[in-house]
Amino acid sequence: MNGFMFLIDQLILIGGVLILLGILSNMISSRLGVPVLVLFLFLGMLAGSEGIGGLEFEDYKLAHAIGTLALAMILFDGGLSTKIESVKSAWKPAVTLATLGVLITAGITGAAAAWVLNLPWLEGLLLGSIVGSTDAAAVFSILRNGGVGLPPKIASTLEMESGTNDPMAIFMTIGCIELLAQRMTFGVELLSLFAMQMVFGVLIGAAIGGLAVWIVNRIQLGAAGLYPVLVTSFCLLAFGLAANLGGSGFLSVYLCGLVLGNSHLIFKRGIRLYHDALAWLSQILMFVLLGLLSFPSRLLNISLKAMLIAAVLILIARPLACFLCLIPFRFQFKPMLFISWVGLKGAVPITLATFPLMMGSPNASLLFDTVFFIVVASAIIQGSSLAVVASALGLKTPKEPEPPVTLEISTLRHVDGDIVDYLVGDNSRASGKMVKELALPDGVVIALITRGDELIPPQGTTRVQSGDHVVLVLKQGTRPLVNQIFGRSEDQRGVIPAAFEFPLRGSITCSELSDYYGIVLDVSPTLTLNEMLKQRMTVKVGNQIRIGPLNLKILSLEEDQSIAMVGMAILSEAEIRAAEQDHTIG
Amino acid sequence: MKFSEIVVKDSVITDLKVENKEDAIRKLVGSLRANGQISADNEESIVGAILKREELGSTGIGKGIAVPHTKHPSVDELIATIAIAPEGVDFASLDGEDVYILFLLISPPDRPGDHLRALETISRHLRNENFCSFLRQSRTPEEVLELLKEADQDEV
Repeated sequence: MNGFMFLIDQLILIGGVLILLGILSNMISSRLGVPVLVLFLFLGMLAGSEGIGGLEFEDYKLAHAIGTLALAMILFDGGLSTKIESVKSAWKPAVTLATLGVLITAGITGAAAAWVLNLPWLEGLLLGSIVGSTDAAAVFSILRNGGVGLPPKIASTLEMESGTNDPMAIFMTIGCIELLAQRMTFGVELLSLFAMQMVFGVLIGAAIGGLAVWIVNRIQLGAAGLYPVLVTSFCLLAFGLAANLGGSGFLSVYLCGLVLGNSHLIFKRGIRLYHDALAWLSQILMFVLLGLLSFPSRLLNISLKAMLIAAVLILIARPLACFLCLIPFRFQFKPMLFISWVGLKGAVPITLATFPLMMGSPNASLLFDTVFFIVVASAIIQGSSLAVVASALGLKTPKEPEPPVTLEISTLRHVDGDIVDYLVGDNSRASGKMVKELALPDGVVIALITRGDELIPPQGTTRVQSGDHVVLVLKQGTRPLVNQIFGRSEDQRGVIPAAFEFPLRGSITCSELSDYYGIVLDVSPTLTLNEMLKQRMTVKVGNQIRIGPLNLKILSLEEDQSIAMVGMAILSEAEIRAAEQDHTIG
Repeated sequence: MKFSEIVVKDSVITDLKVENKEDAIRKLVGSLRANGQISADNEESIVGAILKREELGSTGIGKGIAVPHTKHPSVDELIATIAIAPEGVDFASLDGEDVYILFLLISPPDRPGDHLRALETISRHLRNENFCSFLRQSRTPEEVLELLKEADQDEV
């Protein structure tokens, strides 16, 4: 039997051990205050030929291949979880940083590298280009898992910048290599390479994303597990098509993910979870592999010079690029300083540093070692101090309110709503209230309450207790309101009224209402708002009624049960159309 | 409807310092008069009409925002202005908080639809937390106008 040991058997064992250690290091990273990617890298170095593991690995082609695939998965997941609202608010500064910012950072760092390492300027610029981009994986993992709450504009800008700036760095790296190999000249050729990368990247990413949404929602697959895989296939298609046509595959997958993540998708939760897991696996694999690839002893040799270049990058190049790019967008001093500090480097530079090695550029291994050192230095220095810097600059905001614990029942067909199981916590606003006091919005029904082993059919007078599971049927769009009702009571953040309401006294007359808001009411003009509403609806706080373009909601009652205050919201044309359609159908 | 169609450019105030609601409304209407949007003869009557609307219920709609508004026959177009009061004004708001952002709207009586559209536009944008916080941070009328432009293009 012993004769039948395949290489893959050992590789599987090693893979299992390394992934397990990777996950364990994620658990201790927050305690140590070191970004998890650094731990993954160290893990790889430890396992490597100069560490205790003694694994020999020096296959740059394989490293590049795995790095590229892993990065595509990470960027795709980043796109999937980026909300279109943050894109809208941040795309201008983010895109400027992702293009001009990378150029400035690469230029200054390149000049410093050429001087410090005594290289020709083009090779210096090659190094600058390789480390020019901010790493999406690093930024996402710190912003999302690191417990650093940031004002939305800063967080969106950073996320989007890091998601979109790799194509620019890749383009500059390839451009420098081609120039060095004298296969290309400055000018038209270089510019058309750039244009192709951007244009094909954007077009193909958006097109495949749109196509994917269309197909995922129409295809009827028998097994739920196939849906995430179907989405992965579109991710690979987006990358592969763009890259093979000369576009940027990275830009393409990011956009494809963005389109998918912001569309209504069947089984979206499963798809998201699966890709989140894929992104984690990719991070572990990629960083461990890159750690394996490095030679700690060679890093020591260049440490002083590399440190000097890292210092120029962190303290001069990145801040200068940020300030120049962000001042036109009315950013204030402190946010700009902070964004400068988040110029984290990650796997992209190391992956890019394998390019010159594969293409046989001069000084390729010097470049690789220097880049590796700079990435580790940047990740340790900037990554571990982010939270401290954020609070020193007064930018730290409390983390988003924790949504109540929920369990979702997914459907594989389109239904206009969700079935959600809320776990009522001790400090939930709903705890201790009767069902009828919960003021659930229209289109929301409690289907079932489970308490311990007991199933309770809900009635108006049923009291919700902490520890209960409340199963609700929700119509589309009511989720945020219900989250608030079941959210933690001390959480004042995020309590935004569905629409701004103008308070009106119940004692005003209908003619006043018509005069000011031009609505036509077929009633006596001296009738008060209180009397008019009593004729048309059940009087209860929270009940609402639509009258033409106005939505009137009872805010409070007098002691004699007459209506004291009414909240008037003005509906948009779309809302009115939707309401009228509902009416004709219902 | 877009802000650029209704907001009178040179009337924006970013350092409103007043004691009470009535003074605030006077200042805003005064700023529209100073820009030639309304005549001095009608100023008092417009202030009165706005205060009369306040009697139906305060237009302080919470979250530090007030949207005083009225219809008045002396205007031919919808006109609006904005004031930022860094120190806050007591506006008898529903939530009891002082008001820091004031949008004032005056519409001609014969365009009830546009009046509602304008109020809807204003309240829709004010629901955007980013928009409100940028607005409150604005120190010059230019910053406010730039922000309105971005809001018109849905870029805030």
